[in-house]
Amino acid sequence: MKSSILRAGVALACALGLAACGGGDGDLLLQGTIYGGVTKDGLILVNNGGDDLAIPANATAFQFSKAISTDDEFDITVKQYPSNVKTCTITNGKARANYYTIAQVSIVCEIKTHPLVVKIQGLTTSGLTLVNGTDSKEVPAGATTQAMNPVYEDGAYGIAILKQPSGQTCSVANGTATMGSTDENNNNVVVTCA
Amino acid sequence: MKFPFAQGALALTALLTLASCGGGKETFPITVTVYNVLYDGLVLSTNGQDVAVPKPADTSKPVTVTFPNQIEYGQSYRVLPKGLVYDEKAGTITGTASYPQHQTCDVSTSYPYNLPASGTAGQLAAIQIYYVCTINSYPLTGKVTGLKGTGLTLANGSGVTPVAVTPAVDANNVVTGADVALTMNPVAFNTTYGVTVLTQPAGQTCTVSGGANGNGTGTMDETTEKVDPTTQKNGVNNLLVECK
Repeated sequence: MKSSILRAGVALACALGLAACGGGDGDLLLQGTIYGGVTKDGLILVNNGGDDLAIPANATAFQFSKAISTDDEFDITVKQYPSNVKTCTITNGKARANYYTIAQVSIVCEIKTHPLVVKIQGLTTSGLTLVNGTDSKEVPAGATTQAMNPVYEDGAYGIAILKQPSGQTCSVANGTATMGSTDENNNNVVVTCA
Repeated sequence: MKFPFAQGALALTALLTLASCGGGKETFPITVTVYNVLYDGLVLSTNGQDVAVPKPADTSKPVTVTFPNQIEYGQSYRVLPKGLVYDEKAGTITGTASYPQHQTCDVSTSYPYNLPASGTAGQLAAIQIYYVCTINSYPLTGKVTGLKGTGLTLANGSGVTPVAVTPAVDANNVVTGADVALTMNPVAFNTTYGVTVLTQPAGQTCTVSGGANGNGTGTMDETTEKVDPTTQKNGVNNLLVECK
């Protein structure tokens, strides 16, 4: 008698266990922290390839809507990146679910950068120094272009003249704008010297 | 034959153990590792001892120093930049610290280097403290004149978020065109700045002047740091954005 009750119990436990595995209707909500780099809508996270979760711009946390059960394997990956994101790094995104592991996930995304190359006209002497905030570049005599440090997509830039070249005066046209999404022809900055 | 030998060994062991317990207190060296030391001038102090932390040959590497004298078991310590005084009752630290030039240093807050700078010798197996220095930043401020339209944003290059400026309004929310204070993000010592108009306000055109070079640009260095009369702090306070 006893052993048959035990057996039934085991069978029931097994059945429940299987249901929990297959159904994914447990009580653990898979969640995580976003440490930055999500400045635009478009990021979609998936767990085991499904359960799509759209992350809005500037979100600092996320939580999948479907609850999972203890010991379910989760594997969070990116299905779609925001248009200005190069890649996202997911930490602790793959594990077996328990109260600890479901809350240890973190994501940080890296925003694309694009070269900022400005046109220089009429520069015959040396000493011209251009700045884009803290980025400072001395332009050699005779240069027709000057590459500044790369700029984040959708980020601002503002070219200004820190120092005029010897014997010439330069001015900047269209020096400030927001970086577009291309690597070339992405700005209209012209520094004209006379 | 065997027994007496074992007994002898035991007695010897006991004797040695006792000797190590009683024979003078255990002492602890205090070691401090400091990250991002870019200039000379940092002096750390504890238990009446000073140790200078010079700028390393390779400034990307940390500097590790050890105080000249070890402290005894049970003795308390508190490693502070020299000149700072800890008030035990108030729990505050006051004074003018001997930091590296143009830098400020503090106890590391990032794991696993966030170890306390104070304690009692013997609490931990070894006294190891981590400090981190950061370059000082100075305010970059000024004013916007004649602003009546909305939409003005000012950029300082690409590293920082542009600053939006809204026109001054009176008690009835009517635009007055009065001067508006301008506060850009602080600028680190020895780096350049260049303030530009990213977006013009509706119906107006603004131009930037001021800064160390007169055209909204400059380098935050010793010669161009200007003392702010209200805060008595160094920084640039003469940016002028004129809107017409």
